[in-house]
Amino acid sequence: MAISLKENISIGLSDFWSRKVRGFVTVLGIVLGTMSVIVVLSLMNGINQQTIQWMMERGGLSKITVRRDWSFDNPNNEPRYFTWKEINLIRSLVPEAEYFNPQLREWVRYSYQDKDYLSSIYGVVPDFTQIEEWDVEEGRFISAFDIDQANDVVVIGTEIKQELLGNKDAIGELITVHNRRLRIIGIMKHRFMKSNDAFRGENALSYLNRRAFIPLSTMIKKGTGEDEITSFTVKAKDADSAPALGNKLEDIILNLRHGEPVFSVETAKENAEQIAKNQKNFQVIFFVVSIISLLVGGIVIANIMLASIQERTREIGIRIAVGARRMDIFFQFLAQTIIITAIGGMFGILTGLSILTFISNYIGIELIASISVIMIALAVSVGVGFVAGIIPAVTASKLNPVEALRYE
Amino acid sequence: MKEIITVQALEKIYKMGKVSVPALKGIDVTINKGEFVAIMGPSGSGKSTLMHILGCLDTATNGIYSLNYHKVSEMKKHKLAMIRNKQIGFVFQTFNLLPHLNIQKNVELPLMYAGFSAKQRSQKAKKVLAEVGLGDRLRHKPSELSGGQRQRVAIARAIVNEPSIILADEPTGNLDTNSGNDILSIFTELHAKGHTIIMVTHDPVVAKKANRIIKIVDGMITNGNLT
Ligand SMILES: Nc1ncnc2c1ncn2[C@@H]1O[C@H](COP(=O)(O)OP(=O)(O)OP(=O)(O)O)[C@@H](O)[C@H]1O
Ligand SMILES: [Mg+2]
Repeated sequence: MAISLKENISIGLSDFWSRKVRGFVTVLGIVLGTMSVIVVLSLMNGINQQTIQWMMERGGLSKITVRRDWSFDNPNNEPRYFTWKEINLIRSLVPEAEYFNPQLREWVRYSYQDKDYLSSIYGVVPDFTQIEEWDVEEGRFISAFDIDQANDVVVIGTEIKQELLGNKDAIGELITVHNRRLRIIGIMKHRFMKSNDAFRGENALSYLNRRAFIPLSTMIKKGTGEDEITSFTVKAKDADSAPALGNKLEDIILNLRHGEPVFSVETAKENAEQIAKNQKNFQVIFFVVSIISLLVGGIVIANIMLASIQERTREIGIRIAVGARRMDIFFQFLAQTIIITAIGGMFGILTGLSILTFISNYIGIELIASISVIMIALAVSVGVGFVAGIIPAVTASKLNPVEALRYE
Repeated sequence: MKEIITVQALEKIYKMGKVSVPALKGIDVTINKGEFVAIMGPSGSGKSTLMHILGCLDTATNGIYSLNYHKVSEMKKHKLAMIRNKQIGFVFQTFNLLPHLNIQKNVELPLMYAGFSAKQRSQKAKKVLAEVGLGDRLRHKPSELSGGQRQRVAIARAIVNEPSIILADEPTGNLDTNSGNDILSIFTELHAKGHTIIMVTHDPVVAKKANRIIKIVDGMITNGNLT
């Protein structure tokens, strides 16, 4: 004649309902605990995914970037650039690198008929498309022949095209940069990062659409006129070989600059690993903090349940007198504690979800609490209820009915 | 007549630290099916102690207690819970209703522990509440009722599971004369319908309604066979 789980849940719910205010106060700790589980876990996941996705979109994990390191103050005045000759030397020393793209950037004014547009222009080589995993939508990209001949050609991003030419057919048109006429030979694919519509009001990749590309040789010979290449990017065969290649490049460059770290070498893979490591550290810290707060929440609930059992001594006596077994009393109070914490957990999840929505709108990153995160939060709150409920439930089930009935 | 309760050499000794308080000092009594027995005696004589043992709320220190030929004094706790639930209806001086449940739910309580479905519970509870004249108060909380009405709810709860005996420890002790008489007439009605009733009372007028009076003085029966 065991009393069923359903009965226990309904007793527990009606008890909770008849003591609403206290129920909510009791449960505040659990609400906050599960809320922070939801918010922090989802926020972390969202931001990390965003970063990794961004990295993937910018050439993946086998990409290595060499650029000037401004944090080094360069006391010996080592050149903060590579000459074309040096670039060719470096390239010949790393035959294992699959693609190699030295580049140079300038801030310029683009003109077309009566329209002007201020943006940056990049001198690059054909490998660019492979390293950045970004090609033209229309026309063609810069070729080896263009590099050889230092042709006056340009490939433009969609936003430049839109600003200068509108919906007009752009291929073959001439735009002016530094009084030099460049023929448009291609238009890059439009860049847009899904799952991100407004990072500080703008998509995390849309800045790329404001760039244009010309042959590096054209830039050096006819643009800046100086043989000063400030950065290059390399693509290793795969992500696993990238760190080794990165180290090798670092050694070569250090040698060229007499051991002075004028340049930094960054591998996407190491960045990704760092992100993953940070995430792990953060998770451990977060785990410890939430365990402690839930522990405290659990102790508070256990105490309140003990007090409530004392207050309900007579009720327990009555239940035993009409036929409740010790087991029935035990499960009644255990179920009640679990119900309280589960309700708290659900409130925590709901508030957590709405806070996430709010943050998501604010920073413009899609933040979704995964089902597993929600399940973790719920399981944790139920688990706390279970642990916190055992001692009060045992206490209740051990009451002597005659004394319990006499309790005032 | 068929005997329903037999008690032999029943002793109850309360241990308070090193002091032993003997509350029952060898009770022998037999109660037959369908009897209405009143238990009387001075305060502190052990009446409630005996009732609690008969109601399986407490256990004797020594002696034998048989209910329906089953040796209750040798039963395990979960078995005793079943006896309390199915065989015994206990009515207390202080009503002992659950204040946050309405009276129908209060009456359903023993049925819940007996494992009846919600529908059966509701049917049975409504029926017995109608029998004690509270069929129109099902949703009321105990605090919305008078003392006499509360005791009627308690009686309904005691009989709802059709127990073999009804135990009442001073059921009119907290009531005024009129309400007390109402309660008493319910007990005599129940007795007339064939229920076995054991009732503790201080009131000789109340006791007169019984078939038999058992007098307890200082933990012992002084007149076991009076009719
Ligand atoms: N839990 C207990 N611990 C110790 N002594 C107890 C306990 N319960 C009862 N007693 C003692 O046992 C004796 C019998 O008590 P009991 O309550 O059975 O008396 P009673 O006849 O019901 O009295 P009353 O008419 O006042 O209700 C008393 O001396 C009482 O002090
Ligand atoms: Mg008494």
